[in-house]
Amino acid sequence: MIALAAFRLAAYVRSHRVFQALLLTLALLAIVHGSRAPRGAEATVLVDGAVLLVPVLAWAARSLLDTEPDRQREMSAVQVGGRGKEVVAGLLAAFAACAVFAALGLVWALLLGISGSPPPGLLLAGLILYAISALTGTALGALTSRAVLPSPAVSIMALLLGFLAMLLLSATSLYWLTVPLIPWMKAANSGELLGAFSTLAWISLAWCLIGLTAYGWLRRRS
Amino acid sequence: MRLTNVSFRYRRRDPLVIEDADAHLAPGDVIELTGVNGAGKSTLLRLLAGLARPTTGTISERPPVVGFAPDRFPASQPFTVAAYLRHMSRVRGGARWEPWAERLNMRHLLATPLGDLSKGSAHKVGLAQALMAEPGLLILDEPFAGLDADTRQALPSIAAEVAGRGGIVIASDHQGGLRGLPGLRHWSMVDGRLKEGTAAPAAPPPSQATVAVTLPAEELPRFLARMREEGFQARELDTAEEARELPPAAQGRETLAPARPRDTSATREAEESA
Repeated sequence: MIALAAFRLAAYVRSHRVFQALLLTLALLAIVHGSRAPRGAEATVLVDGAVLLVPVLAWAARSLLDTEPDRQREMSAVQVGGRGKEVVAGLLAAFAACAVFAALGLVWALLLGISGSPPPGLLLAGLILYAISALTGTALGALTSRAVLPSPAVSIMALLLGFLAMLLLSATSLYWLTVPLIPWMKAANSGELLGAFSTLAWISLAWCLIGLTAYGWLRRRS
Repeated sequence: MRLTNVSFRYRRRDPLVIEDADAHLAPGDVIELTGVNGAGKSTLLRLLAGLARPTTGTISERPPVVGFAPDRFPASQPFTVAAYLRHMSRVRGGARWEPWAERLNMRHLLATPLGDLSKGSAHKVGLAQALMAEPGLLILDEPFAGLDADTRQALPSIAAEVAGRGGIVIASDHQGGLRGLPGLRHWSMVDGRLKEGTAAPAAPPPSQATVAVTLPAEELPRFLARMREEGFQARELDTAEEARELPPAAQGRETLAPARPRDTSATREAEESA
């Protein structure tokens, strides 16, 4: 399974599709962290960066999963010993790619986005938040990949509208019905990030797992 | 391995592609699967490989290691042949692919990007990845399509080897390439129903002809390579005179090209004997 994940990552890099997401990530980070934020705004900078990265990470995950031709996906499933292992290997590869881009975002934010060094608690929260961002991108990208949505037009629309729906729904009192992106940003702005962290993190993780499970369920026949 | 009342449809309310298939496959079986286009052969192979689940019925006792060679190898991947097979070997837990590259006569292709391969060469890569892990169930979808003559001849003995060590081989095949094998079982798909019968007798050898082609000397290597790639036996003659002295009926299907033609223009002429 790890070997199959490595194969898919290698295909993603060697096909040069990786540069699409890399360039998009660099452009986004250059804009978001164009000017260094003043002291005291570390939490806001870290959270805004993690939230805004989600659609780019979803794009990266979708692109990685779509690199493999459909017929090769079938052959991979036979070789690795079943559809389930092939699906998990694909998700592992997608998460690995998203984690690299998310790490790039975190390092950029720490080096060029903030003025002081964040306290250890905030740093740890930031680390977990970027991991959640990578997981959210993986789930959204997987759900809009070609194996689930064969039409490229429908797929890219679903990705963008899915992210917008997450933003809109999480801005309401029903924020717990999706990954609560807006509550993350609100908590950081109001200085209550660490206090609300546990609740928001569990809701986020739960929805990521639901998304990944839905992907596995949808892939059971394709 | 056993199929019990297996039926399959792609979507709810779609007509059944396969209806009530019952079969038992024993270790050592080699099965030739035939049927008209759209009869459900590839669907049946996908079900056997575990790539699709029966709508009703069950498939049980599938061997743990399955090799699957599709009818069209997906060549649009950013790897050379060697890099691809190395990755597949790791996925298979370190299976040895090098002997298969040798046996399928593809060592000269190892550094070639998959996207640059001809159909037949890409098909060999698909066969190598299916064979490398010593499968207990080997599924070949149109395995003879596009293969050169040497590999076409080697494939039945490879199938017999897999069967000889207790594997099951099933191949959808319109060309009757496995019909020389003793004990070959014959399945046919007719209107979505699986029927078993005796294998048709081996087809008579195709009529053969030998042609001589005159072409500029510098084009010779490429021409010979192309002919061999397309499955013809092609060789270079010592002199143009030898080409003129061809026997009236040749034993093989050969394209014969003289080494130093007098005519070095781009015009090609062919004499056909037999």
